[in-house]
Amino acid sequence: MSAELELQPRERLHPMSWLFAVIAFGRQFIVPLIAAALFGSREGEPIWLATVLVPMLLAAVWKQYFYRYGFAADALVIREGLFFHNIRRIDYARIENVDTERGILHRLLGVAEVKVETSTGGKPEALIQVLSLAAADALRRQVFARRSEEVEPQQSTQPSAPELHLPPSEVIKFGLIDNRGMVVVAGLFGLLYETGLLEAWSVSLRERLNLQTFDQIVAGDWLIQAGVVLATLLAVLIVLRVFSVVLALLTLYDFTLARAAGDLKVRYGLLTRLSLTLRLSRIQAVHRTETLLHRLFDRVSLRVDLAGGTRGQGEQNQDAAKSVRWLAPVVEPARGDELIALALPDVRFATPPQWQPLAPGAHKRVFRMSAFFWSFAGVALAAITREYYPLALVAIGLPISWWHARMYVRYTGWALQEDALFVRMGWLTRTLAVVPRNRIQTAQWAESPFDRRHAMASVTVDTAGAGSRSDVVRIDYLERDVAVELARELYTSVAHDEPARHAERVLT
Amino acid sequence: MAVQHVDPAAITVWRWESALTALVAACALAVPLGPMSPSVAVTIGVAVIVLGALFAWSWPVARYRRLTYAVDGLGLTIQQGVWWRVQIALPRVRIQHSDVSQGPLQRRYGLATLKLYTAGSRFTKVELEGLRHEDAIALRDTLLSRTHVG
Repeated sequence: MSAELELQPRERLHPMSWLFAVIAFGRQFIVPLIAAALFGSREGEPIWLATVLVPMLLAAVWKQYFYRYGFAADALVIREGLFFHNIRRIDYARIENVDTERGILHRLLGVAEVKVETSTGGKPEALIQVLSLAAADALRRQVFARRSEEVEPQQSTQPSAPELHLPPSEVIKFGLIDNRGMVVVAGLFGLLYETGLLEAWSVSLRERLNLQTFDQIVAGDWLIQAGVVLATLLAVLIVLRVFSVVLALLTLYDFTLARAAGDLKVRYGLLTRLSLTLRLSRIQAVHRTETLLHRLFDRVSLRVDLAGGTRGQGEQNQDAAKSVRWLAPVVEPARGDELIALALPDVRFATPPQWQPLAPGAHKRVFRMSAFFWSFAGVALAAITREYYPLALVAIGLPISWWHARMYVRYTGWALQEDALFVRMGWLTRTLAVVPRNRIQTAQWAESPFDRRHAMASVTVDTAGAGSRSDVVRIDYLERDVAVELARELYTSVAHDEPARHAERVLT
Repeated sequence: MAVQHVDPAAITVWRWESALTALVAACALAVPLGPMSPSVAVTIGVAVIVLGALFAWSWPVARYRRLTYAVDGLGLTIQQGVWWRVQIALPRVRIQHSDVSQGPLQRRYGLATLKLYTAGSRFTKVELEGLRHEDAIALRDTLLSRTHVG
């Protein structure tokens, strides 16, 4: 009630908002709609479409007509609905991010979708769909101006010179390194299969392909066969890379990382333009990835874990992909180190990390695991095909496993600094995770039966932002005593963090 | 920092839980098989019950022996697991909120489960099962009180 008495929100959505509401709603039905368009009966179509579209349109207009937002002294107020009134108050102090997203249509109409995020996590606290650019900017300024005075007010509107800007050549490099073309190809394949086009094509291909040539290839000697296989593989690889480059250009075009009001601001995208704020206080960890291809181009990729960011919460599957918060998709290693330092101001990078190795027997265990995998694959294949040659896998696998184990152990290590935990891992794909010690939530060590036989253990740390499985900071194959000590050390340092440190000082 | 076990009554609770699970599993397997071949159904049912009973008798003791916790000025440390052993250390400053819950079996024996939530992403809930209800509440109060140190 008090909210109503205090303030009646007056600001309205952009007049074209209904269009985006319809599109957002329609997107969920895109597959059935396409299917209906392709296979549906022709006569019933207009009525069928109308029964879906008209209520959608009415709902969208209704929503736009009664949607209001406004700025109270200490909170953003949003009112929705006429019969079912919903008034939401979001305290400025709790607002972490005001992000905007603009697709092609948004840009044609000069509007933006605004997401107001708080530290609650999961869904954005409010999705304002859509505002004119001026209104979106005004909202952002209102929120941030009232949120905190400690931030220099001038800087917030005038972002300084970018810390990182990727020209198209760099984005193309990212496309070449990145493997996301695979996703596109898989998606296309799925679509073709679903719509039945694939079958039609393969039939026509078979007809067009001279059967004689096909027979010749099959009957031909192994050189021709190998050539055909190689050429096909090569073609697939090239297509994949081309798709990756196109996708990279679409999503990461004009990637800009800039400092704004003490935080970092990221903008990217060709058609859909994203504008995100990475608040330094929310950054939980920085991950650096270096694949073989990265090294070929002398680049690294940097990502950050944000607390309360869009975590895959089941219903938010589309957003899960977006929870990859790039600090820099591709960057020279030296500049990358500077950016890591920029993202984690609490960590002093001047002191070089004191790298600690894994347990002395670690490489034997890595070897055994890898060798077991190869042998199992070989034997299983041999059993299935009832031939002997798959057993060659075992012979190939053993030296590879040995080499892999050696290299893996050489490039894996950890360093516990005064203010952060560094973990590097892997050989072909090398990763580095930097977790400030004051961001650690819990520390645990675990011991599997295999670990126990070798007096080893693993250590896992949890932060408020580790989204995907691959981002978990975990060190395997430590000596048991080392692991116990490390977990203990992390625990005590966390426990001495801010509030407790206070209490302790008072009492001692 | 004293390492403590939970209340021994937890063994009884776990035994009942395992036994009931075995009984349900036996029924779930035997009942659909019954009309087809009663003898097979009875054999399977009895086998599951016998194995379940053995498990229910021995496992909770091992589990109890391996489940320890320690409270110090900084927070709570729980160690558990018979084959896979895990020790999780939870600093009190990281506790967001807490639950003390009791299932029907636990209530019968005066036990409770203490659940502590963090703002973490993978281990957001840390559970300590088998405490006496009053001990669980006392432990929660100790951990949540900000002034207690040492």
